Amino acid sequence: MDVDTGNMTQTNLVDKVVVPGDVVLDLTKMENQTIKLGSGLRQDCDYISVMQAGKLRLSKPNKYWVESSQKRYVPRLEDTVLGIVVEHRSDNFLVDIKAPNLAFLPVLAFEGGTRRNIPKFETGTLIYARVVKANGIMNPELSCTDASGKAAEFGQLKNGYMFETSTGLARMLLSSPTCPVLEALGNKISFETAVGLNGRVWVNASSPDDVILVSNAIMRSEFLSGTQQRIMAEKLLERLQKS
Amino acid sequence: MEDRTDGRNANQLRPLGCSRNILNRAHGSARWSQGNTIVLAAVYGPKSGTKKGENPEKASFEVIWKPKTGQIGKQEREYEMILKRTLQSICLVNVHPNTTTSVIVQVVGDDGSLLPCAINASCAALVDAGIPMKHLAVSISCGLMEEGSIILDLTKSEEEKLKAFAYLVFPNSPLSVIDKVHSSKEEPIEHGIITSVSYGAMPVSGYFDCLERGRAASAAISEFLRRSLQKQSSDDASRAAQ
Repeated sequence: MDVDTGNMTQTNLVDKVVVPGDVVLDLTKMENQTIKLGSGLRQDCDYISVMQAGKLRLSKPNKYWVESSQKRYVPRLEDTVLGIVVEHRSDNFLVDIKAPNLAFLPVLAFEGGTRRNIPKFETGTLIYARVVKANGIMNPELSCTDASGKAAEFGQLKNGYMFETSTGLARMLLSSPTCPVLEALGNKISFETAVGLNGRVWVNASSPDDVILVSNAIMRSEFLSGTQQRIMAEKLLERLQKS
Repeated sequence: MEDRTDGRNANQLRPLGCSRNILNRAHGSARWSQGNTIVLAAVYGPKSGTKKGENPEKASFEVIWKPKTGQIGKQEREYEMILKRTLQSICLVNVHPNTTTSVIVQVVGDDGSLLPCAINASCAALVDAGIPMKHLAVSISCGLMEEGSIILDLTKSEEEKLKAFAYLVFPNSPLSVIDKVHSSKEEPIEHGIITSVSYGAMPVSGYFDCLERGRAASAAISEFLRRSLQKQSSDDASRAAQ
Protein backbone atom coordinates (compact mmCIF):
# COMPACT_ATOMS: atom_id res chain seq x y z
CA MET A 1 0.00 0.00 0.00
CA ASP A 2 2.20 2.84 -1.21
CA VAL A 3 1.46 6.47 -0.81
CA ASP A 4 2.03 8.58 -3.87
CA THR A 5 2.30 12.29 -3.24
CA GLY A 6 1.76 13.11 -6.88
CA ASN A 7 -1.53 11.28 -7.34
CA MET A 8 -2.97 11.78 -3.86
CA THR A 9 -3.78 8.04 -3.54
CA GLN A 10 -3.99 6.93 0.07
CA THR A 11 -4.26 3.61 1.84
CA ASN A 12 -7.93 3.20 2.47
CA LEU A 13 -8.77 1.41 5.69
CA VAL A 14 -12.57 1.31 5.18
CA ASP A 15 -13.98 -2.20 5.62
CA LYS A 16 -10.68 -3.44 7.04
CA VAL A 17 -9.99 -4.55 10.58
CA VAL A 18 -8.30 -1.76 12.52
CA VAL A 19 -6.65 -1.79 15.94
CA PRO A 20 -6.30 1.04 18.48
CA GLY A 21 -3.75 3.57 17.31
CA ASP A 22 -4.42 3.29 13.59
CA VAL A 23 -4.92 6.60 11.86
CA VAL A 24 -7.86 6.42 9.51
CA LEU A 25 -8.39 9.96 8.29
CA ASP A 26 -6.14 12.89 7.73
CA LEU A 27 -8.18 16.02 8.27
CA THR A 28 -5.63 18.30 6.64
CA LYS A 29 -6.44 16.66 3.30
CA MET A 30 -10.18 17.15 3.67
CA GLU A 31 -11.13 20.77 3.89
CA ASN A 32 -14.63 22.18 4.10
CA GLN A 33 -16.18 18.82 4.77
CA THR A 34 -18.30 17.75 7.70
CA ILE A 35 -17.44 14.31 8.97
CA LYS A 36 -19.54 12.41 11.48
CA LEU A 37 -17.71 10.07 13.82
CA GLY A 38 -19.49 7.13 15.36
CA SER A 39 -18.27 4.76 18.06
CA GLY A 40 -14.66 3.72 18.30
CA LEU A 41 -13.09 6.79 16.68
CA ARG A 42 -11.66 9.92 18.21
CA GLN A 43 -10.12 13.13 16.97
CA ASP A 44 -6.47 13.66 17.79
CA CYS A 45 -5.50 17.16 16.55
CA ASP A 46 -5.47 16.76 12.77
CA TYR A 47 -6.05 13.03 12.60
CA ILE A 48 -8.87 10.67 13.30
CA SER A 49 -7.55 7.63 15.11
CA VAL A 50 -9.06 4.38 16.33
CA MET A 51 -9.97 3.71 19.97
CA GLN A 52 -11.44 0.19 19.74
CA ALA A 53 -10.51 -2.73 17.55
CA GLY A 54 -13.03 -3.68 14.90
CA LYS A 55 -13.97 -3.17 11.27
CA LEU A 56 -13.98 0.38 9.98
CA ARG A 57 -17.21 1.25 8.19
CA LEU A 58 -18.22 4.18 6.07
CA SER A 59 -21.77 5.22 5.34
CA LYS A 60 -21.71 7.65 2.44
CA PRO A 61 -21.30 10.53 2.39
CA ASN A 62 -19.51 11.23 5.61
CA LYS A 63 -20.26 8.92 8.52
CA TYR A 64 -17.41 6.75 9.85
CA TRP A 65 -17.51 4.26 12.69
CA VAL A 66 -15.80 1.13 13.99
CA GLU A 67 -18.02 -1.94 14.13
CA SER A 68 -17.14 -4.14 17.07
CA SER A 69 -18.92 -6.50 19.39
CA GLN A 70 -18.51 -6.37 23.15
CA LYS A 71 -20.05 -7.86 26.24
CA ARG A 72 -20.56 -4.43 27.80
CA TYR A 73 -22.63 -1.61 26.37
CA VAL A 74 -21.84 2.07 25.79
CA PRO A 75 -25.11 4.04 26.01
CA ARG A 76 -26.16 5.96 22.91
CA LEU A 77 -29.12 8.25 22.40
CA GLU A 78 -32.31 6.65 21.06
CA ASP A 79 -31.14 3.07 21.60
CA THR A 80 -33.72 0.59 22.90
CA VAL A 81 -32.38 -1.46 25.78
CA LEU A 82 -33.47 -4.11 28.27
CA GLY A 83 -32.70 -3.09 31.81
CA ILE A 84 -33.05 -4.75 35.20
CA VAL A 85 -34.33 -2.66 38.09
CA VAL A 86 -31.82 -2.49 40.92
CA GLU A 87 -33.35 0.05 43.26
CA HIS A 88 -36.36 2.33 43.67
CA ARG A 89 -35.52 5.87 44.70
CA SER A 90 -38.04 8.59 45.33
CA ASP A 91 -38.11 10.04 41.84
CA ASN A 92 -36.42 7.46 39.67
CA PHE A 93 -35.67 3.76 39.37
CA LEU A 94 -32.02 2.71 39.16
CA VAL A 95 -31.70 0.31 36.26
CA ASP A 96 -28.73 -1.82 35.24
CA ILE A 97 -28.17 -1.77 31.46
CA LYS A 98 -24.67 -3.33 31.31
CA ALA A 99 -23.11 0.15 30.96
CA PRO A 100 -20.31 1.67 33.05
CA ASN A 101 -22.93 3.53 35.10
CA LEU A 102 -26.38 2.67 36.37
CA ALA A 103 -29.21 4.29 34.40
CA PHE A 104 -32.02 6.39 35.85
CA LEU A 105 -35.62 5.76 34.83
CA PRO A 106 -37.85 8.59 36.10
CA VAL A 107 -41.00 7.30 37.80
CA LEU A 108 -43.10 9.60 35.64
CA ALA A 109 -41.61 8.49 32.29
CA PHE A 110 -44.54 6.22 31.46
CA GLU A 111 -47.64 6.85 29.40
CA GLY A 112 -50.11 8.71 31.57
CA GLY A 113 -47.67 8.72 34.44
CA THR A 114 -48.58 10.89 37.41
CA ARG A 115 -47.54 10.90 41.03
CA ARG A 116 -50.67 8.89 41.79
CA ASN A 117 -49.99 5.88 39.58
CA ILE A 118 -46.28 5.20 39.92
CA PRO A 119 -45.59 1.64 38.72
CA LYS A 120 -44.44 -0.76 41.40
CA PHE A 121 -41.30 -2.38 40.03
CA GLU A 122 -39.48 -4.64 42.43
CA THR A 123 -35.75 -5.31 42.28
CA GLY A 124 -35.12 -7.69 39.40
CA THR A 125 -37.92 -6.49 37.13
CA LEU A 126 -37.07 -6.58 33.43
CA ILE A 127 -37.86 -3.34 31.59
CA TYR A 128 -37.79 -2.49 27.89
CA ALA A 129 -36.90 1.20 27.61
CA ARG A 130 -35.37 3.83 25.39
CA VAL A 131 -32.24 5.86 26.16
CA VAL A 132 -33.03 9.56 26.26
CA LYS A 133 -29.87 10.99 27.73
CA ALA A 134 -26.41 9.57 27.28
CA ASN A 135 -23.09 11.29 27.59
CA GLY A 136 -19.96 9.62 28.82
CA ILE A 137 -19.92 11.32 32.16
CA MET A 138 -23.35 11.33 33.77
CA ASN A 139 -25.62 8.39 34.45
CA PRO A 140 -27.72 7.64 31.36
CA GLU A 141 -31.43 8.31 31.51
CA LEU A 142 -34.17 6.04 30.19
CA SER A 143 -37.81 6.48 29.33
CA CYS A 144 -40.66 4.03 28.85
CA THR A 145 -42.46 6.16 26.29
CA ASP A 146 -41.60 6.93 22.70
CA ALA A 147 -40.93 10.44 21.45
CA SER A 148 -44.62 11.34 21.35
CA GLY A 149 -45.40 10.13 24.87
CA LYS A 150 -47.16 6.86 23.97
CA ALA A 151 -46.26 3.54 25.58
CA ALA A 152 -45.35 1.78 22.30
CA GLU A 153 -44.43 -1.63 23.79
CA PHE A 154 -42.07 -0.12 26.36
CA GLY A 155 -42.41 -1.09 30.00
CA GLN A 156 -42.18 -4.24 32.02
CA LEU A 157 -41.70 -7.58 30.26
CA LYS A 158 -43.57 -10.33 32.07
CA ASN A 159 -42.93 -14.10 31.87
CA GLY A 160 -40.60 -15.35 29.19
CA TYR A 161 -36.85 -15.85 29.48
CA MET A 162 -34.03 -13.30 29.25
CA PHE A 163 -30.48 -14.13 28.28
CA GLU A 164 -27.37 -12.05 27.65
CA THR A 165 -25.50 -11.82 24.38
CA SER A 166 -22.87 -9.58 22.86
CA THR A 167 -23.82 -6.23 21.39
CA GLY A 168 -22.88 -7.50 17.92
CA LEU A 169 -25.46 -10.30 18.03
CA ALA A 170 -28.13 -7.88 19.26
CA ARG A 171 -27.44 -5.56 16.31
CA MET A 172 -27.63 -8.49 13.90
CA LEU A 173 -31.00 -9.59 15.32
CA LEU A 174 -32.35 -6.08 14.82
CA SER A 175 -31.02 -5.59 11.31
CA SER A 176 -33.38 -5.27 8.38
CA PRO A 177 -34.19 -7.32 6.34
CA THR A 178 -35.17 -9.76 9.08
CA CYS A 179 -32.36 -11.83 10.50
CA PRO A 180 -32.44 -15.32 8.87
CA VAL A 181 -32.57 -17.26 12.13
CA LEU A 182 -35.61 -15.31 13.37
CA GLU A 183 -37.31 -15.78 10.02
CA ALA A 184 -36.65 -19.51 9.93
CA LEU A 185 -37.93 -19.94 13.49
CA GLY A 186 -40.91 -17.68 12.92
CA ASN A 187 -42.10 -19.86 10.05
CA LYS A 188 -42.75 -22.78 12.38
CA ILE A 189 -43.11 -21.44 15.95
CA SER A 190 -45.03 -18.50 17.23
CA PHE A 191 -43.02 -16.54 19.77
CA GLU A 192 -42.40 -12.96 20.78
CA THR A 193 -39.02 -11.46 21.38
CA ALA A 194 -37.53 -8.18 22.62
CA VAL A 195 -33.94 -7.35 21.74
CA GLY A 196 -31.96 -4.76 23.67
CA LEU A 197 -29.02 -3.13 21.95
CA ASN A 198 -27.16 -3.51 25.22
CA GLY A 199 -26.82 -7.25 24.64
CA ARG A 200 -29.94 -8.66 26.29
CA VAL A 201 -32.63 -10.69 24.55
CA TRP A 202 -36.03 -11.69 25.96
CA VAL A 203 -38.04 -14.53 24.43
CA ASN A 204 -41.58 -15.60 25.26
CA ALA A 205 -43.65 -18.39 23.73
CA SER A 206 -46.64 -20.51 24.70
CA SER A 207 -44.65 -23.55 25.85
CA PRO A 208 -41.27 -23.80 27.63
CA ASP A 209 -39.98 -26.13 24.86
CA ASP A 210 -40.46 -23.38 22.30
CA VAL A 211 -38.78 -20.79 24.52
CA ILE A 212 -35.73 -23.02 24.97
CA LEU A 213 -35.55 -23.83 21.27
CA VAL A 214 -35.73 -20.21 20.18
CA SER A 215 -33.21 -19.06 22.80
CA ASN A 216 -30.70 -21.76 21.88
CA ALA A 217 -31.08 -21.04 18.19
CA ILE A 218 -30.45 -17.33 18.73
CA MET A 219 -27.42 -17.94 20.97
CA ARG A 220 -25.86 -20.25 18.40
CA SER A 221 -26.42 -17.97 15.43
CA GLU A 222 -23.87 -15.32 16.30
CA PHE A 223 -21.06 -16.38 14.02
CA LEU A 224 -23.05 -18.06 11.26
CA SER A 225 -23.86 -16.77 7.81
CA GLY A 226 -27.47 -16.47 6.62
CA THR A 227 -27.70 -19.90 5.03
CA GLN A 228 -25.92 -21.55 7.94
CA GLN A 229 -28.42 -19.97 10.31
CA ARG A 230 -31.35 -21.31 8.33
CA ILE A 231 -29.85 -24.80 8.25
CA MET A 232 -29.13 -24.72 11.98
CA ALA A 233 -32.64 -23.55 12.81
CA GLU A 234 -34.19 -26.22 10.62
CA LYS A 235 -32.09 -28.94 12.24
CA LEU A 236 -33.22 -27.84 15.69
CA LEU A 237 -36.86 -27.74 14.62
CA GLU A 238 -36.59 -31.22 13.11
CA ARG A 239 -35.16 -32.56 16.34
CA LEU A 240 -38.31 -31.48 18.11
CA GLN A 241 -40.44 -32.68 15.21
CA LYS A 242 -42.03 -29.36 14.53
CA SER A 243 -41.49 -29.29 10.78
CA MET B 1 28.47 -16.14 20.65
CA GLU B 2 27.49 -19.14 22.73
CA ASP B 3 24.46 -21.20 21.83
CA ARG B 4 21.33 -20.75 23.88
CA THR B 5 20.05 -23.81 25.70
CA ASP B 6 17.00 -24.19 23.50
CA GLY B 7 18.87 -23.77 20.24
CA ARG B 8 17.61 -20.31 19.34
CA ASN B 9 19.92 -17.66 18.00
CA ALA B 10 20.32 -14.32 19.73
CA ASN B 11 17.47 -12.51 17.98
CA GLN B 12 14.96 -15.32 17.80
CA LEU B 13 11.76 -15.20 19.81
CA ARG B 14 9.97 -18.22 21.17
CA PRO B 15 6.76 -19.28 19.41
CA LEU B 16 3.99 -16.80 20.25
CA GLY B 17 0.40 -17.77 20.86
CA CYS B 18 -2.63 -15.59 21.50
CA SER B 19 -6.28 -16.47 21.93
CA ARG B 20 -9.00 -14.05 23.01
CA ASN B 21 -12.51 -14.31 24.43
CA ILE B 22 -11.79 -17.56 26.22
CA LEU B 23 -13.57 -16.84 29.53
CA ASN B 24 -17.36 -16.71 29.50
CA ARG B 25 -17.97 -14.41 32.42
CA ALA B 26 -15.15 -11.92 31.95
CA HIS B 27 -15.91 -8.91 29.79
CA GLY B 28 -12.62 -9.38 28.00
CA SER B 29 -10.03 -12.14 28.25
CA ALA B 30 -6.88 -13.30 26.53
CA ARG B 31 -4.28 -16.01 26.87
CA TRP B 32 -0.77 -15.18 25.73
CA SER B 33 2.04 -17.70 25.50
CA GLN B 34 5.71 -17.27 24.69
CA GLY B 35 7.19 -20.77 24.68
CA ASN B 36 6.41 -22.22 28.10
CA THR B 37 5.54 -18.91 29.71
CA ILE B 38 1.74 -18.71 29.60
CA VAL B 39 -0.38 -15.96 31.14
CA LEU B 40 -4.16 -15.64 31.26
CA ALA B 41 -5.59 -12.11 31.62
CA ALA B 42 -9.22 -11.21 32.35
CA VAL B 43 -10.76 -7.73 32.23
CA TYR B 44 -13.92 -6.69 34.04
CA GLY B 45 -15.39 -3.29 33.47
CA PRO B 46 -15.71 -0.41 33.28
CA LYS B 47 -17.67 -0.52 36.51
CA SER B 48 -19.12 2.44 38.30
CA GLY B 49 -17.21 4.18 41.06
CA THR B 50 -13.55 4.63 41.92
CA LYS B 51 -11.50 3.71 44.95
CA LYS B 52 -10.78 6.21 47.66
CA GLY B 53 -7.38 7.47 46.58
CA GLU B 54 -8.08 7.71 42.86
CA ASN B 55 -8.96 10.72 40.77
CA PRO B 56 -12.70 10.63 39.99
CA GLU B 57 -12.24 12.60 36.80
CA LYS B 58 -10.42 9.71 35.19
CA ALA B 59 -11.05 6.03 34.74
CA SER B 60 -8.99 4.03 37.21
CA PHE B 61 -7.43 0.62 36.78
CA GLU B 62 -7.05 -2.12 39.33
CA VAL B 63 -4.65 -4.98 38.69
CA ILE B 64 -4.65 -8.26 40.59
CA TRP B 65 -1.74 -10.60 39.95
CA LYS B 66 -2.23 -14.24 40.82
CA PRO B 67 0.94 -16.34 40.86
CA LYS B 68 0.92 -19.98 39.83
CA THR B 69 1.87 -21.23 43.30
CA GLY B 70 2.69 -19.72 46.62
CA GLN B 71 1.41 -16.75 48.52
CA ILE B 72 1.08 -13.22 47.23
CA GLY B 73 4.11 -11.22 48.26
CA LYS B 74 6.20 -8.22 47.35
CA GLN B 75 7.11 -9.49 43.90
CA GLU B 76 3.45 -9.75 42.95
CA ARG B 77 2.74 -6.27 44.28
CA GLU B 78 5.60 -4.92 42.20
CA TYR B 79 4.26 -6.58 39.06
CA GLU B 80 0.81 -5.19 39.82
CA MET B 81 2.16 -1.68 40.13
CA ILE B 82 4.16 -1.85 36.89
CA LEU B 83 1.24 -3.33 35.00
CA LYS B 84 -1.14 -0.72 36.35
CA ARG B 85 1.09 2.18 35.34
CA THR B 86 1.63 0.70 31.88
CA LEU B 87 -2.06 0.14 31.25
CA GLN B 88 -2.94 3.58 32.54
CA SER B 89 -0.65 5.15 30.01
CA ILE B 90 -2.01 3.29 27.01
CA CYS B 91 -5.71 3.61 27.79
CA LEU B 92 -7.80 6.74 27.29
CA VAL B 93 -8.80 7.61 30.83
CA ASN B 94 -11.08 10.53 30.02
CA VAL B 95 -13.70 8.59 28.09
CA HIS B 96 -15.37 6.98 31.12
CA PRO B 97 -14.57 9.07 34.19
CA ASN B 98 -15.34 7.75 37.65
CA THR B 99 -15.18 4.10 36.66
CA THR B 100 -12.91 1.23 37.61
CA THR B 101 -11.63 -1.41 35.24
CA SER B 102 -10.22 -4.54 36.88
CA VAL B 103 -7.52 -6.60 35.22
CA ILE B 104 -6.80 -9.99 36.74
CA VAL B 105 -3.63 -11.75 35.63
CA GLN B 106 -3.22 -15.46 36.30
CA VAL B 107 0.18 -17.07 35.71
CA VAL B 108 -0.29 -20.47 34.12
CA GLY B 109 3.35 -21.21 33.32
CA ASP B 110 6.54 -19.37 34.15
CA ASP B 111 9.66 -19.94 32.04
CA GLY B 112 11.17 -16.46 32.04
CA SER B 113 9.89 -13.16 30.55
CA LEU B 114 6.86 -13.33 32.82
CA LEU B 115 6.16 -9.61 33.03
CA PRO B 116 6.37 -8.98 29.26
CA CYS B 117 4.06 -11.93 28.66
CA ALA B 118 1.59 -10.55 31.21
CA ILE B 119 1.67 -7.09 29.64
CA ASN B 120 0.99 -8.53 26.19
CA ALA B 121 -1.85 -10.66 27.57
CA SER B 122 -3.43 -7.71 29.42
CA CYS B 123 -3.27 -5.54 26.32
CA ALA B 124 -5.00 -8.22 24.24
CA ALA B 125 -7.63 -8.67 26.96
CA LEU B 126 -8.32 -4.92 27.06
CA VAL B 127 -8.83 -4.92 23.29
CA ASP B 128 -11.21 -7.85 23.68
CA ALA B 129 -13.21 -5.93 26.28
CA GLY B 130 -13.45 -2.85 24.08
CA ILE B 131 -11.77 -0.47 26.52
CA PRO B 132 -10.81 2.71 24.59
CA MET B 133 -7.06 2.84 24.03
CA LYS B 134 -4.60 5.21 22.41
CA HIS B 135 -2.53 2.40 20.90
CA LEU B 136 -1.42 -1.11 21.80
CA ALA B 137 1.60 -2.08 23.88
CA VAL B 138 4.05 -4.82 22.93
CA SER B 139 6.59 -6.04 25.43
CA ILE B 140 9.85 -7.94 25.20
CA SER B 141 12.71 -8.99 27.43
CA CYS B 142 16.33 -8.35 26.47
CA GLY B 143 19.39 -9.70 28.22
CA LEU B 144 22.96 -8.44 28.11
CA MET B 145 25.64 -11.11 27.94
CA GLU B 146 29.16 -10.71 29.34
CA GLU B 147 30.77 -9.83 26.03
CA GLY B 148 28.16 -7.17 25.33
CA SER B 149 25.89 -9.09 22.94
CA ILE B 150 22.13 -8.97 23.35
CA ILE B 151 19.74 -11.90 23.50
CA LEU B 152 15.96 -11.58 23.24
CA ASP B 153 13.05 -13.34 24.95
CA LEU B 154 14.85 -14.85 27.90
CA THR B 155 14.00 -18.16 29.49
CA LYS B 156 14.13 -18.63 33.24
CA SER B 157 17.57 -20.26 33.21
CA GLU B 158 18.94 -17.42 31.07
CA GLU B 159 17.50 -14.81 33.44
CA GLU B 160 19.17 -16.49 36.38
CA LYS B 161 22.55 -16.72 34.66
CA LEU B 162 22.76 -13.26 33.14
CA LYS B 163 24.36 -10.32 34.84
CA ALA B 164 21.76 -7.84 33.62
CA PHE B 165 18.52 -7.86 31.63
CA ALA B 166 15.60 -5.55 30.97
CA TYR B 167 11.89 -5.77 30.24
CA LEU B 168 10.82 -3.18 27.67
CA VAL B 169 7.37 -2.08 26.52
CA PHE B 170 6.92 -0.22 23.23
CA PRO B 171 3.87 1.17 21.43
CA ASN B 172 2.76 -0.86 18.45
CA SER B 173 3.28 0.23 14.84
CA PRO B 174 0.03 1.73 13.63
CA LEU B 175 -1.45 1.53 10.15
CA SER B 176 -1.93 4.97 8.82
CA VAL B 177 -3.46 6.74 5.88
CA ILE B 178 -1.14 9.63 6.45
CA ASP B 179 1.43 10.37 3.84
CA LYS B 180 4.67 9.00 5.23
CA VAL B 181 6.67 11.71 3.44
CA HIS B 182 4.91 14.52 5.22
CA SER B 183 5.18 13.02 8.66
CA SER B 184 8.84 12.10 8.42
CA LYS B 185 9.70 15.21 10.39
CA GLU B 186 8.22 13.72 13.56
CA GLU B 187 9.32 10.52 15.20
CA PRO B 188 7.07 7.61 14.32
CA ILE B 189 5.09 6.46 17.31
CA GLU B 190 6.79 3.08 17.52
CA HIS B 191 10.06 4.83 18.44
CA GLY B 192 8.67 5.78 21.82
CA ILE B 193 8.89 3.68 24.93
CA ILE B 194 6.22 3.06 27.54
CA THR B 195 7.89 1.09 30.32
CA SER B 196 11.37 -0.15 31.07
CA VAL B 197 12.28 -2.39 34.01
CA SER B 198 15.92 -3.33 34.35
CA TYR B 199 17.59 -5.86 36.62
CA GLY B 200 21.28 -5.92 37.38
CA ALA B 201 23.98 -3.47 36.43
CA MET B 202 24.67 -2.73 32.79
CA PRO B 203 26.66 -0.01 31.01
CA VAL B 204 24.72 2.77 29.32
CA SER B 205 25.79 1.58 25.87
CA GLY B 206 24.53 -1.89 26.73
CA TYR B 207 21.16 -0.46 27.73
CA PHE B 208 20.82 1.46 24.49
CA ASP B 209 21.74 -1.68 22.55
CA CYS B 210 18.98 -3.50 24.38
CA LEU B 211 16.54 -0.74 23.44
CA GLU B 212 17.47 -0.92 19.79
CA ARG B 213 17.19 -4.68 19.53
CA GLY B 214 14.04 -4.75 21.58
CA ARG B 215 12.42 -2.13 19.39
CA ALA B 216 13.26 -4.06 16.23
CA ALA B 217 11.79 -7.23 17.70
CA SER B 218 8.72 -5.44 18.94
CA ALA B 219 7.78 -4.78 15.32
CA ALA B 220 7.47 -8.55 14.84
CA ILE B 221 5.32 -8.95 17.96
CA SER B 222 3.20 -5.98 16.93
CA GLU B 223 2.57 -7.61 13.55
CA PHE B 224 1.65 -10.90 15.26
CA LEU B 225 -0.81 -9.12 17.55
CA ARG B 226 -2.44 -7.33 14.63
CA ARG B 227 -2.78 -10.58 12.68
CA SER B 228 -4.28 -12.40 15.64
CA LEU B 229 -6.83 -9.59 16.11
CA GLN B 230 -7.76 -9.72 12.44
CA LYS B 231 -7.84 -13.48 12.28
CA GLN B 232 -10.10 -13.79 15.27
CA SER B 233 -12.71 -11.52 13.81
CA SER B 234 -12.84 -13.49 10.58
CA ASP B 235 -12.51 -16.84 12.38
CA ASP B 236 -15.63 -16.00 14.34
CA ALA B 237 -17.53 -15.71 11.09
CA SER B 238 -16.47 -19.16 9.94
CA ARG B 239 -17.17 -20.98 13.18
CA ALA B 240 -20.00 -23.31 12.18
CA ALA B 241 -22.64 -24.73 14.49
CA GLN B 242 -22.35 -28.32 15.64
